[in-house]
Amino acid sequence: MSNIDENAQGKEMGLTTCPSCNKLNEQKQTHCTRCDSPLMVRDTTSLQKSWALLITAAILLIPANIYPITMLTDRGRIRHDTIFTGITHLVQSDMFPIAIILFTASILVPLLKIVGLTIYLTAISFRLPISKKMLMVGFHIIEWIGRWSMLDLFVISITVALVNMGQLLDAKPAPAATAFALVILLTQMAAKVLDTRLLWDRLESKDDKNRSTKSR
Amino acid sequence: MERDCIDDCVTLCRSCDLVVTKRALPSGVRALCPRCHTALYDTPYCSINGMLALCITALIFFTPANFLPILELHFLGSVRTATIAEGAIAVAHQGYWIVGISVMLTAVIAPGVLILSILSQILIIKYRLHSPFFRDVLKRLLKYQDILSQLTMLEIYLISILVSVFNLSDFADIFLGMGTFCFSMLFIVTLFLQREYNLEHMWSMLDE
Ligand SMILES: [Zn+2]
Ligand SMILES: [Zn+2]
Repeated sequence: MSNIDENAQGKEMGLTTCPSCNKLNEQKQTHCTRCDSPLMVRDTTSLQKSWALLITAAILLIPANIYPITMLTDRGRIRHDTIFTGITHLVQSDMFPIAIILFTASILVPLLKIVGLTIYLTAISFRLPISKKMLMVGFHIIEWIGRWSMLDLFVISITVALVNMGQLLDAKPAPAATAFALVILLTQMAAKVLDTRLLWDRLESKDDKNRSTKSR
Repeated sequence: MERDCIDDCVTLCRSCDLVVTKRALPSGVRALCPRCHTALYDTPYCSINGMLALCITALIFFTPANFLPILELHFLGSVRTATIAEGAIAVAHQGYWIVGISVMLTAVIAPGVLILSILSQILIIKYRLHSPFFRDVLKRLLKYQDILSQLTMLEIYLISILVSVFNLSDFADIFLGMGTFCFSMLFIVTLFLQREYNLEHMWSMLDE
């Protein structure tokens, strides 16, 4: 196979992989020979879909953080907690490790995901001269850590089920919970629908240095 | 170059579409795309019988993990218990059904369906691979495998139980139930099952 160029794209060779089973197919086929999924050399509309999902998620991140996410009644006193105040309470009661876990899962991860995906999509849409390899590593990290935001919702559901004793001690979810759930859902989908091969088709000229070092 | 060779010695990176020449790998090693570092392929090490055993073990733990209380709260003489599903239903009951559905889906439904799906795949491969009907079923199951394993969030739920214990220990006494033990076992078994499972290898079963 010596006649294959180091940086050949499947697109130029008339080949394409099946998005669902990963089998190599020829471009002239419309459906995968193994699993019958429709084949697409590039999904150009995925960029728009991904932007739409990401922008919606970014907007929802605001109510998710400014509205309370839980409501706690403790001996008649009602306390509303936002994601942030919930974490500061943990810090005040000296539970640093738990505070750090919750801070990472509920504030850092969603924020990193939205900022990261924005950089990623901007780089494709506006052909920014950012190292493609770095973008791709970031993308894999975003895909992998995204799920961990569910942590807060699980904690809320356990708490709500356990703590319901009327005026004495009672926990209920508050409006930010839905917004937060939607942020997780939409950001995961934004990463999922995106055809990452688009990144490698564009911004060709800018970081050629990156390519040549890779080939040795 | 000949077309029929291409299928065996070349692969395309699914993230960046780079053409990569396939090489034989030692077991346990995974080939990464030289350009974007996406995992490309590895030597399949799935043992069908091993996975079958893990599937059955997981199914045995699944019911108690979901129907026994995962936490017990003792407060001024009264005792409250909660199962995973009760948590999801309690949240949905308060009007937060999007939250309730996501909890139910990722902590109860997806893990259950995942185990059943892998079990059916193994049984088809072991006994019914020649029948066209079952081949079609296998094809369908494999198509949803990826999304199912992404929806399965047992590890995150396990950490959530721990976080809740610390969170609530401020107000009341918290005890771990038998359900927590079964849930942890379910998590460990599913972890090994997912580690053993290789989607690429399962797809290749259809090629023969
Ligand atoms: Zn396919
Ligand atoms: Zn690649």
